[in-house]
Amino acid sequence: MRIIGEKINGTRKRVAAAIADRDAGYITDLAVSQAEAGAAWLDLNAGTLPDREPDDLVWLVRTVQAVTDTPLSLDSANPTALEHALAHVERTPIINSISAEPGRIEGILPLAARHGTGVVALAISETGIPETAAERIAVVEELIGLTRSSGVADGDVYVDPLVLTVATNNDSALISLDTMRMVGGEFPDVHMTVGLSNVSFGLPARALVNRGFLTLAIAAGLDTAIADPLDKGLQAQILVTEMLLGRDRHCLEYVRASRTGLFD
Amino acid sequence: MTTSADLVSAITDMREDDAIAYARELVDGGTDPVVILEACREAMDIIGKRFEIGEAFIPELILAGEMLKTVSEVVKPHLKSEEATEAIGKVVIGTVEGDIHDIAKDIVAFMLEINGFEVTDLGVDVPVAGFVKAVEETGARIVGLSGFLTLAYDPMKATVAALKAAGFDGKVMVGGGQVDESIRDYTGADAYGKDAMAAVTLAKEWSGAA
Repeated sequence: MRIIGEKINGTRKRVAAAIADRDAGYITDLAVSQAEAGAAWLDLNAGTLPDREPDDLVWLVRTVQAVTDTPLSLDSANPTALEHALAHVERTPIINSISAEPGRIEGILPLAARHGTGVVALAISETGIPETAAERIAVVEELIGLTRSSGVADGDVYVDPLVLTVATNNDSALISLDTMRMVGGEFPDVHMTVGLSNVSFGLPARALVNRGFLTLAIAAGLDTAIADPLDKGLQAQILVTEMLLGRDRHCLEYVRASRTGLFD
Repeated sequence: MTTSADLVSAITDMREDDAIAYARELVDGGTDPVVILEACREAMDIIGKRFEIGEAFIPELILAGEMLKTVSEVVKPHLKSEEATEAIGKVVIGTVEGDIHDIAKDIVAFMLEINGFEVTDLGVDVPVAGFVKAVEETGARIVGLSGFLTLAYDPMKATVAALKAAGFDGKVMVGGGQVDESIRDYTGADAYGKDAMAAVTLAKEWSGAA
């Protein structure tokens, strides 16, 4: 299980201010702390208006790379911003994201192919987020057809089957889990990721909901998540789940984490 | 004997079966249907205030809305025609061009409806002209523009400008995902709402029904 560290996101007020003020110290602190906590990638989302986004994203890339070797996840739907950012990226990043919505593939997939990046593929069609797992897998099939024909290997694709809040549809988590199982069956080399916290939107005690869903999702094939790598509860939940799924030989990682005080 | 206060507590306590049973008992006992609907509004006000301070949650808003709809169906046949509930105001709502996110927009439309507004929901990826046409056709004085992606800001701005150019002199609210006061300023809209209850509050203020 690998985590895409979510904290450098310009839709968060404090991060937006740091981007606007070019406050490198605040951003590098977020980068270093997430990298040290074990993030496999650091997500960079400038969260700014389209005309500002290329400059802001490039600044984020340069600022973060100055302090860590952890690869980046370039979080933008704007081909111009991605192209500028890719010119400055030093280690193979992930592009976050493409979808089957109008304008969310054309300018972006060629960039991913040319730069050999990973790419997050959201199961969203031109009419929105499909309601059923059958419709979502159809969108995933369409997207993987496109990534393959563009020369992107399945192993570089991170399918996000999407999860919506159970607050407005009690079957939201089930639909997402069913889609994950279908993706795993049809495309064994493809990775799966998900924006975990959507599932609990509008509910109290969201962390509990997020962790419960994470456990079910890992069992359904999830191997990547966009999350806060500093969240000890989440780290513990991943360790427990992987141990219970027989992926932690002699329970070593679990016992080791207990000794370092992760569960205290 | 069942009172309208019992109905208010049943709705605010999320006791769906009781709420519907009480509404039937009140109707059968001869309570003025207008009083019953007023009790529903009072209950929604209470739930809305609890939501604003984090003591009620989205699933409860939705359940309350469903209870309200069922109670209205029970009561409506007993309303005299002139009492048939008149809408507080008309609202045109939609997700702007280039964006297909609908969940938050749907909740806002739903909450506006159960709070007494006549809502025309244009759906998602709505072209600028679609809003202008809908406002002209419905005579709505309030427009809600929703967008989740940063790419939605320019279409929002274009929609506000087109509405003004077409002579619309009502109010426009924007909301969704990352929209905040600075985005409101960028788009030229009159206000932004952070959630469905904020949208209801704004719409009521603009309609003089606050």
